[in-house]
Amino acid sequence: MSAAAIEPIVCGRTVHSLDRAVLADVCGTPLADVGQAPRLMAAGALAQARRAADGRPVEHALLVRAAELFANAELDGETPDEYERRVALGTGLPRGTVRHATADIVRAIDRLPRTVAAELPATEQGSGYRTVWVPAGRIFAAVMASNHPAPNDSWLHALALGFSVLVRPGTRDPFTARRLVLALLAAGLPAHRVSYLPGSHAVGSYLLESADRGIVYGGDEAVARWRGSASVTTRGPGRSRALLDVAPTDEVLDHLATAAAYDGGTRCNNISLVLTTGDVRAVADGLAARFDKLGGPVVTAPDAVLPAVDAARAEVLAGQLRGLREELTVHAPVGAEPVTGLPDGSYRPLPTVLSTDDPRHPAVGLELPFPFVVVAPWRRGEPDLLGGALVANLLTEDEDIVAGAVADPRIGKVTRGRTLPWAAAPGTPHDGNLSVFLLHPKGIVDMGGKEDAMA
Amino acid sequence: MTTTSVPATTGLTFDERVRHLMRWHFSPETGSPFWLRQLPELGFDPIEEVTDAAGLLRFPDLSDRLRTTPAGDLIPRGLTGAGFQVYESGGSSGAPKRIVDRDYRSRLLSWAFERLRAHHLPDPAHWLHLGPSGPHVFAYDCARYAALGGGLFYPVDFDPRWVKRLVAAGDTEIVGRYVRHLLDQARDVLSSQPIGVLSTTPPLIEAICADPELHELVNRRVDTIIWAGTSFSPESLRQVDEIFFPDTTVIGIYGNTLMGVAPQRPPQPGDKHRCVFEPWAEAIRIDLVEDGEPVGYGERGRVRLSLVTEEMFLPNVMERDTAVRVEPAEGGAVDGLAEVGTIATVGANRVIEGVY
Repeated sequence: MSAAAIEPIVCGRTVHSLDRAVLADVCGTPLADVGQAPRLMAAGALAQARRAADGRPVEHALLVRAAELFANAELDGETPDEYERRVALGTGLPRGTVRHATADIVRAIDRLPRTVAAELPATEQGSGYRTVWVPAGRIFAAVMASNHPAPNDSWLHALALGFSVLVRPGTRDPFTARRLVLALLAAGLPAHRVSYLPGSHAVGSYLLESADRGIVYGGDEAVARWRGSASVTTRGPGRSRALLDVAPTDEVLDHLATAAAYDGGTRCNNISLVLTTGDVRAVADGLAARFDKLGGPVVTAPDAVLPAVDAARAEVLAGQLRGLREELTVHAPVGAEPVTGLPDGSYRPLPTVLSTDDPRHPAVGLELPFPFVVVAPWRRGEPDLLGGALVANLLTEDEDIVAGAVADPRIGKVTRGRTLPWAAAPGTPHDGNLSVFLLHPKGIVDMGGKEDAMA
Repeated sequence: MTTTSVPATTGLTFDERVRHLMRWHFSPETGSPFWLRQLPELGFDPIEEVTDAAGLLRFPDLSDRLRTTPAGDLIPRGLTGAGFQVYESGGSSGAPKRIVDRDYRSRLLSWAFERLRAHHLPDPAHWLHLGPSGPHVFAYDCARYAALGGGLFYPVDFDPRWVKRLVAAGDTEIVGRYVRHLLDQARDVLSSQPIGVLSTTPPLIEAICADPELHELVNRRVDTIIWAGTSFSPESLRQVDEIFFPDTTVIGIYGNTLMGVAPQRPPQPGDKHRCVFEPWAEAIRIDLVEDGEPVGYGERGRVRLSLVTEEMFLPNVMERDTAVRVEPAEGGAVDGLAEVGTIATVGANRVIEGVY
């Protein structure tokens, strides 16, 4: 199949770009010929969007229609099946994960009104006094990564609340944001509300600098510049982890293996560290036995569960994993190569469990984009090791530990017992509160002609 | 000591000039201390053995030595006399390289100015120069063009080395403020002075376009925009031409301190590129090469240049730029260059971490 032509979309209008970048898939084959949006195209899109921006919320019915089209329609010649195949080949995500992500996005849109309601405090003070939440600006910039399609729901959130949105998609997944934009336009979104600008990191930075609010996904280096910014919120590595302070029964080990390996270990809330008060080796062996059963076909197969990488990333990962294997105890299949070649030309990082007796080892807290867990000892009085986790899954009866984790501002979310890290009702935060970030509270007082009772 | 007369080389072919100037640069009475010092290390006799453009490739690329050589040693003894100026390269790849110039650049710029006029440069025109000045040659060139066109020259001071430092240190906030400072000064000139030509760099054009008010002001006031210094991608150039400045003449100049300038030639029927640069055939030889061999037309190669003038001799210099080789224009003698870019620097140690 020939490489798909992908073009930027400037305020709803597809623009053929003269700047091209070929995206090779994980097998090394050209997958897409991506028209790049240089900074000047972004500047034009921004100016046009700002001129037209009205700050009006998008009606939920339109978003639901768009979600339905995203999941089921053929958009610009791309069937849902072809979309899945492209994302799987571009990112190396197993096809099942791409399918889950589509369902996640549809669900996020469906729940959006409830999510927003849960994220905002009650606003009626009675007797004519109330607070309305209005967009804190007009332009929202989203700089996406390619590790998972689901985070694209963040810019849909901003769009729904009244922002006009400019998205720079991830380099290896230019498909998801594009498909969402096409679905939104097909569902009737006014053209000026959304632009899709594949391009360099510099273009992403430019968009974030210029927007009123923005979000950036990426590694520590990519998001470092924006940490502490009032107008840009960052989504860096999740470093989710579990604290195991109960007996490692089969049920507990099954739970931990799922928390680590579901969706191929590619979610920000997949755990990558198990801290245990018990026997480190036994826990690691138990997890490794479960990882050993993971396998299956190449990423494009309908039943794929493990991610793949291209040759260049395979080489880097192999070097990195060999280094780790020298310093830590390996519980993965004995003798197996850390990265293996697959029949389609892609490479699979081996699901890996490592253990160490040193909870200060640099690998403790390392997160990799496939099922990868380090098991390390934990003793009471070392709450620091839980800090920095997007999700801390606490398997303990000790209420002091739980209270400490709940009070720790560095932990995004706490789950207890055999609760998966991504369990959430609409509005359950795991990384801050997007509605409050996007909106600004404004007092509205209407005494209906009476004198102000507080005056 | 009286100034020896410069060999008369106008009207000669490039190869004939090479033969004339080998004698000039490598004779003890007329050559520069710099080249006379290199002579014993060369292993060949340039006067006898270098007779054409191909012969220049026998010289090693000594341009790195221009970073440390006292600039005065570059002046041919035959030209001893006052009036030489020193110019420095940008310094993006280490310490700056220095050259000397007395008359060469004026002759080059007279030729280049005629090339600019072929694009309907307003005449007379006053210039706003929003670009490097100081040791950099860009502002000097544009001041010369303004004078040749009978116009006034309004420079805004811009120190690109300071910006490079800020960028390297990740001080993007300060970069933003410095660019704002430059744009404010440009706005000041544009609002009160009758400017016809704006000379600037691609990043500053991008900054102007990102500022709707200033963009509107430039659009209203300026007839011609001249850009140089860094490259524009094809789509960026299309954006400038068609979207941001549809009624303004936009002309690119490729060049660097060592070689001089290669202005954009007027478009030809059948051009595949929006902007094709042509060097000055009289003194400059540019080849686009891969592994030392010239690439075919339509292919991308690395810029290898030689400068052969009475004042400076710089053979066989490999630049960091690459470009697409374009067939000579109708009636033209030299190849064109299009889509100039810089060799991408490949990062060494990639480490993969994190999902987010």
